[in-house]
Amino acid sequence: MLASTELQEGRAIAATEAPAGGYVGARETKHNGDLFLTGRAAYFNDIVLPKMSHAAVLRSPHAHARIKSIDASAAEASAGVLATLTGAQIKEHTGPIPFFIDPAVFGGKTRDNFPLAVDKVLMTGQPVAAVVAETAADAEAALDLIKVDYDVLEPILEADDALKDGAPIINDGWDDNVVITLPFVEGDAEAALAEADHVIEDTFEMHRLSTQPIEPRGNMAVWEKDGSLTFYGSIQNPHPLRLHLSQALGVSESAIRVIAPFVGGGLGLKMHGHPEEALVCVLAKIVGRPVKWLEDRRETLLIGGIEQTHRFKVGFNNDGQIVAIHNRIVANVGMLGSAPGWGMAFLSALGFPSGYKVPVTDVSVQVVSTNKGIWNATRGYGKQGTNVVIERMVDLVARHLGMDRIEVRRKNMIEKDEFPYATNSGLNIDSGDYHAALDKLEELLDYEGLKREQAKLREEGRYLGIGITFELTPESADIPGTIVGGFDSAQVKMDPSGNVTILSGVTTPGSGNDTGLAQIVADEVGVTIDRISVIQGDTDTCPYGFGNYSGRSIVSGGNSAVLAARDIGEKIRGGAALLLEAGDEDIELIDNLARVAGAPDRAIPIAAVAETIYTLNFAIPGIPEPPLESTRVYKPDNIRHTPDEKGRIQPYPTYSYAMHGVVVEVDPETGAVDIKRIGIVHDCGTMINPLFIEGQMAGAMVMGLGNGMSEELKYDEKGTPLSTRFKAYLMPRAGDVPAVELVHQITPSPFTLLGTKGAGEAGVGGGMSVIANAVDDALAPLGVTIRELPVSPPNVLKAIDEAGSNGGRG
Amino acid sequence: MTNSIRLNLTVNGEARSVEIDPRRLLVEVIREELELPGTHIGCLTGDCGACTVERDGQIIKSCLALAASAEGSEITTIEGLAENGELSTLQQAFWDEYGFQCGYCLPGMLFSAKDLLAQNASPSEDEIRHAINGNLCRCTGYDTIVKSIAEAAARTA
Repeated sequence: MLASTELQEGRAIAATEAPAGGYVGARETKHNGDLFLTGRAAYFNDIVLPKMSHAAVLRSPHAHARIKSIDASAAEASAGVLATLTGAQIKEHTGPIPFFIDPAVFGGKTRDNFPLAVDKVLMTGQPVAAVVAETAADAEAALDLIKVDYDVLEPILEADDALKDGAPIINDGWDDNVVITLPFVEGDAEAALAEADHVIEDTFEMHRLSTQPIEPRGNMAVWEKDGSLTFYGSIQNPHPLRLHLSQALGVSESAIRVIAPFVGGGLGLKMHGHPEEALVCVLAKIVGRPVKWLEDRRETLLIGGIEQTHRFKVGFNNDGQIVAIHNRIVANVGMLGSAPGWGMAFLSALGFPSGYKVPVTDVSVQVVSTNKGIWNATRGYGKQGTNVVIERMVDLVARHLGMDRIEVRRKNMIEKDEFPYATNSGLNIDSGDYHAALDKLEELLDYEGLKREQAKLREEGRYLGIGITFELTPESADIPGTIVGGFDSAQVKMDPSGNVTILSGVTTPGSGNDTGLAQIVADEVGVTIDRISVIQGDTDTCPYGFGNYSGRSIVSGGNSAVLAARDIGEKIRGGAALLLEAGDEDIELIDNLARVAGAPDRAIPIAAVAETIYTLNFAIPGIPEPPLESTRVYKPDNIRHTPDEKGRIQPYPTYSYAMHGVVVEVDPETGAVDIKRIGIVHDCGTMINPLFIEGQMAGAMVMGLGNGMSEELKYDEKGTPLSTRFKAYLMPRAGDVPAVELVHQITPSPFTLLGTKGAGEAGVGGGMSVIANAVDDALAPLGVTIRELPVSPPNVLKAIDEAGSNGGRG
Repeated sequence: MTNSIRLNLTVNGEARSVEIDPRRLLVEVIREELELPGTHIGCLTGDCGACTVERDGQIIKSCLALAASAEGSEITTIEGLAENGELSTLQQAFWDEYGFQCGYCLPGMLFSAKDLLAQNASPSEDEIRHAINGNLCRCTGYDTIVKSIAEAAARTA
């Protein structure tokens, strides 16, 4: 339980009685940690079924080609092979893969994505045929025997090329290569820019990156004797996947069971819409045996995200007030896949102007399809696009005016008494105190001391850089007309032994929300956490839910568990009151006991009350009704789907935020960036478990630093991926980063039951923006302006060269 | 089909003998033939370290060795780290300090940490970070892993 002294905002936890057991707010360790530590936690690839067979996927070596013919006969006859399947046959077995978020819902273009390319391939690595064999090695060996005759077409790889007049149109039936253009306009930007004291016009490019959890994806399907389908996968959203498998395969949703075992990191990659999900179901039907497909790392690295260019103008006055932003974003989503990745581009535009009070904004994003790989969600879900670019803008303003970057932020940030604050794009930011967070960061870093150190080192010819950025993280979205849901469900059951089972609609891709649910329920029901088990990720046993994304698991899943647990607590209190001859309101539930408040000797074990309710229900008049089970849904407030007068909706209940500061030293000879310090002030409202929040933030920050410093999915001119292994896609290692210094600030959300806001995504955008600003600051004496990420050594050297060739004007 | 061979080795203190395809990697045989799936596969190129095990007192990435090369060797996997059902000091420290989130990199981290502590009873933060540089983690940002290892060292001292 949070002591009030820890509530740095001076606001009590909203709308809930203080739980008695003290689990909520405690640094509780993983409730099932021993399973992992002893190698007993079963992940997808640990599931072995009798008669299991293995699939391998033949992928296009061309980025853009028509398939003239496929001959799989030699593969069919190869050792151990059970079946082959080609694109020409796929439509006999399945319809198109439903979109997780269909652009058509927003008026955009769509396409039919089948698990195997039917007649045309749009990306290198697109599946064209599949083999099922007794072993994975047999299946892979047989792939080499499949002959595909391609008519190779010129690939279009860059969004600007795809947008040129007369550019070949890569999707049959489209009239150009634009999936959708989404404008967010408030006021007259042209007029406001004309009136501003200063205008800076510049560009920023964010290169293609990828999520890469350490466990790759995997799917397995088995058709049971009764005709029902069981699907196992390393996936984030079991119930929504069940719907989409049902729609694709033409099988009743009630005849499909989707099971997600322990997941070795999700990070957005394991949201569905990938070809291999329906594919294993089709293959399993054909061979009449379970079929498993496990992703190879080269396949994981086909899936990208984020790649976008911003061409912007920012208008501001002499006092540092930003008055207008004009920004044209072009996002290269590669082949338009059915996974939810493309929607990140939507968010990159929607998020402007972040937590700054910019009166006039004209921001739009063009979502462009090319022959690069598909996008899928990557932790942060496009919010990093907003974050990086607006934070670059603020630093450009500060540098132009010779003002301190902290002062410019202080001047433009929303004030704490202005919440809830409606932004230009229609978002309604719930709560916060950005200025206090900035003060805390200054203190944490000793900002003034750092500036003195920087000045001293510059005299010695060393390039120390300080990056400061703010990050706003809208969380727990509900997008109407899609399976991105803002509510979720929980069932809490107490058995006659007094043990509690939580069945949840949210899933845990490793973050630990299962332990968080156990903490919440333990406090509400009054049992110790060792008496609680948590079941997630099974559509046959868990109540309907949307799984894991958008920092939603505690906001929606946690609060629904509160409601269900309170129902159980109420019955236990009722039974105990009867047995102890007290009033319901006098019973407190704590430490596995129901006791009369103020009379510690008048107590009964909760297990005894539960047993009495189940076994003496006819014998004791007035005892609460069995079963001790409750299923509840929690819908957070603040979501508004009725469009306002400008047609805008408000899809997010909560807005976490953070203030980031990093210190780097850059070697201008090699372009290497050495991170010296990482400081963060973070506010996600009420914390169920600070240990987990800190883990989420440190992990997100280091992922963001990697995204911003070293990770890049590169292609050659033919559209062949070059970053095919971890030797070329460079994620941060322990020695690349220092410890994260984290300070909490707590402003409970007024719109959620426990006051929690989303956690888990904040830090990714912050890592990317803060490293960009830090390197920019380090190299300011050389006239460098950072205009692209990652700030990898080659890109840093290029920026230094460009600054040198234009006389140091940046 | 290649002729199978018999592999004799000691795994987690127990003598084992299995028929294997000689083309198979050590990690594949550990997971499938020896039925110890706690050792994980992340990349198969020796970059992520999730497959790290101990062989004859040395840590190795078991995706970079053919199983046949382990003939006669003593292997320890994550399933063999606990003693008499009690978690080792290192395992307990990883639990207490939240040294893993999804747990997928955990087997490799535990062995890299164990190897470090066997050579250096009180490592500095830099030494710890250096020791786990061959193990990728995408969840934690490494901080809590570093703390776990430092805590294990402190508890052993």
